[in-house]
Amino acid sequence: MSEIVIASPDAPRGTLLRTALRSPSFVIGALITLLFIAMALLSFVWTPYPFAAQDIPHKLRGLSAEHWFGTDQYGRDVFSQILVGARTSISVALIAVGLGIGVGVPLGLWAAARRGSLLDEIIMRLNDLVFAFPALLIAILITSVFGPSATNAIIAIGIFNIPVFARLTRAAALSLWTRDFILAARVAGKGAVRISLEHILPNILNTLVVQITIQFSLGILAEAALAYVGLGAQPPTPSWGKMLADAQTLISLAPHLALIPGLCIVFTVLGLNLVGDGLRDIFDPRLQRSRR
Amino acid sequence: MSLLAIQNLRLSIGDTPILHRIDLDLEAGKVLGIIGESGSGKSMTSLSIMRLLPAGSAASGAIHLNGTELLGQTEKQMCGIRGREIGMVFQEPMTALDPLKTIGAQVAETIWVHDQMSRREAMAEADRVLDRAGLPRSLFPRDRYPHELSGGQRQRVVIASAIALKPKLLIADEPTTALDVTTQARILDLLRRLVDEDGTGLIFITHDLAVVAGLADDVAVMRHGDVVEAGPTRDVFRALAHPYTRQLFDASSHVPRRDPSRSGWPGEPSGDRSDTAQERPGGEPVLVVDSLIRDYRLPPRHFLAPAGKFRAVDGVSLRIERGENVGLVGESGSGKSTLARAIMALEPAQGGSIAIDGTPLSDRDLVSRRKLQVVFQDPYGSFDPRQRVETLITEPFHLLGADAPHGAERRARVDAALTDVGLSPADAGKYIHEFSGGQRQRIAIARALIIEPSLIVLDEAVSALDVSIRAQILDLLAELSDRLAISYLFISHDLSVVRSITDRVLVMQNGKIVETGPTAEIFANPQHPYTQELIAATPNLERALQSGLLSRTAGEGDHAKHGGGGGPTL
Repeated sequence: MSEIVIASPDAPRGTLLRTALRSPSFVIGALITLLFIAMALLSFVWTPYPFAAQDIPHKLRGLSAEHWFGTDQYGRDVFSQILVGARTSISVALIAVGLGIGVGVPLGLWAAARRGSLLDEIIMRLNDLVFAFPALLIAILITSVFGPSATNAIIAIGIFNIPVFARLTRAAALSLWTRDFILAARVAGKGAVRISLEHILPNILNTLVVQITIQFSLGILAEAALAYVGLGAQPPTPSWGKMLADAQTLISLAPHLALIPGLCIVFTVLGLNLVGDGLRDIFDPRLQRSRR
Repeated sequence: MSLLAIQNLRLSIGDTPILHRIDLDLEAGKVLGIIGESGSGKSMTSLSIMRLLPAGSAASGAIHLNGTELLGQTEKQMCGIRGREIGMVFQEPMTALDPLKTIGAQVAETIWVHDQMSRREAMAEADRVLDRAGLPRSLFPRDRYPHELSGGQRQRVVIASAIALKPKLLIADEPTTALDVTTQARILDLLRRLVDEDGTGLIFITHDLAVVAGLADDVAVMRHGDVVEAGPTRDVFRALAHPYTRQLFDASSHVPRRDPSRSGWPGEPSGDRSDTAQERPGGEPVLVVDSLIRDYRLPPRHFLAPAGKFRAVDGVSLRIERGENVGLVGESGSGKSTLARAIMALEPAQGGSIAIDGTPLSDRDLVSRRKLQVVFQDPYGSFDPRQRVETLITEPFHLLGADAPHGAERRARVDAALTDVGLSPADAGKYIHEFSGGQRQRIAIARALIIEPSLIVLDEAVSALDVSIRAQILDLLAELSDRLAISYLFISHDLSVVRSITDRVLVMQNGKIVETGPTAEIFANPQHPYTQELIAATPNLERALQSGLLSRTAGEGDHAKHGGGGGPTL
């Protein structure tokens, strides 16, 4: 019996995609996410109208054949803005998460390799320090000092991704460092850097991928929140959060202006979370066993 | 009528048949040993009795406990039977206890779940039961937590909660496998005493024939979900009627054939036993350890106090000659694994020196480590699951730096190493999960062999394997040692394994080597009290068959008289 339990983490190789396609939450989440990524990519080559073109006579129109999602108070096409807004949200979240991974994962690996040392202590306490501040507050601080822009939003969100990935990486790596195959690598004279890259990193990728999808959705939310308070991308660059902020005074006149960007945010975050849940199920060896 | 009667039990999980037609009988006050290797279905049989089978399993047949058909009971009725009628003891005493509950509450829980009594009464009853299990209140206050006890003491708590309600049937699934030999001997005594006193029927599941031979009245040998042979212990082991029983028996007492012309160590008479090795001609010793010290830092008692230290290895000196196989035995906590880690330069030593092939060992210097390799205990944990066998076994080439072979030569070395351990060169492209435990241990040996070391440290290398696989791996090790003149440092708590493969034995206790000498001499005539105790506690198949059963039948009354003696010293 014990053989099955221990052997299963290595087993899913090759069948991973097939298992993934059998998980409904993964499939639905992946479809939603792909749809929004497709929208963002589409905006580079085509939008129904130029997203910033004002057309005051046709302002505040409802949904129609010419303007699928209607127009806003300046007569701009909402669908075009949503497409470009998807680009803004996704790129800000993507770069911010990338920043978190790029700094957090190496820090976590380093701390785990030198576990118990002063260095480990310093890295982790600095992480605690970042965690101790409310994320939005620091984001507001950064943008108010350096001026509101998409770049500063990326930096602000990215900083808060660093300790998330550093902690996760360290925790996952620590349990691996006690395994015999790491001992075997050390007996083979491999140094900490080499072991971290060759053995630790590939074995914690599962865990990281799940966290990436979750942080990505949180990044989109954070971008929307910053844009909503006017600290994200600046006009005329559209952003879902900015669209929400602009729509709130008109909510009784044209509810679709608030509803449409709001729903976009909800569905993107939902899609990413479903992908994360699905991936977690797929990578979980216990669930793997019952599925085989 | 028998206490437990299993008739025609079949079990399948999903579409996979697990058990085919199991028939077993057990009388009250008797011990039934179920022997089998992993995958034989012995644990599933016991879980069928408890009706604690995994989801998706379907059992058919009949299990009668005192006339009650268990398979027909509802889950609610079973909850009344589990714990009250059937008690169970698991292998791993750490995970079988709730770490947040005191030992008193742990045992009391079983009692008040079943009996309508107050917590106070239940605690008082738990107190009595723990006392019976060899944990007197004076030495083990009932408010202790599991982590404050040793493995053997924890197992006593598990046994106490299993016997709290005097169940008619007690199932013990490998209850001593995780314990040291001397602790194992005491737990076995305790179980036998409880069976004799209460008239409980005991099902004792194990892979260890020697343990069963000394304990069980009847045995059932299982393989692939079938009972291949069953009967009174002595008859089964004397007759060895079924080929599989014979195979298990042979594997358990297996001694690998070694080339006598090469070594001649085992029986070599010598006046001064500790210096035998030095009298051997043949150049430089492979390993010289001189007064090695390894300290661990302990957390300070209070904020300003200096950190304490624990000396795990205390001035150990040893040497291993070329081609010599040395065993290092001792119980957990004796420092043998720490010594091994220091020899492998995985941990820094606080004093003393280590030299391999005459070169002082150093953490930074890869050259000094080329002559040393290691095989670990757990065949499942010692490989990176994401790499192919070729990458796995060539890992030690890192030690060769620029001298590491490339291209065709590398390929040839991989093929040779895999062939040496009885695998095929085609296996190089596979992943580790495609191999069984025994094959994985062969791959571990291939990984150790590939850079042609002088010394391989075998850290409990066969302890996790089934007896028949273990015999094969021991044969392989003996053959390799003869052919390639490799030395082994064989670390094990299992004395019978050490006895079969080593030339010389070092006995370690509390960080010191207390006795050393040629294997045959140490086993025949141990001098140090600790060695004597270890050897006496090791279950021995032959001894058990010759005397164990007879003396136990004669001395049944003694068990009751001796009561909890020896218990608290665990």
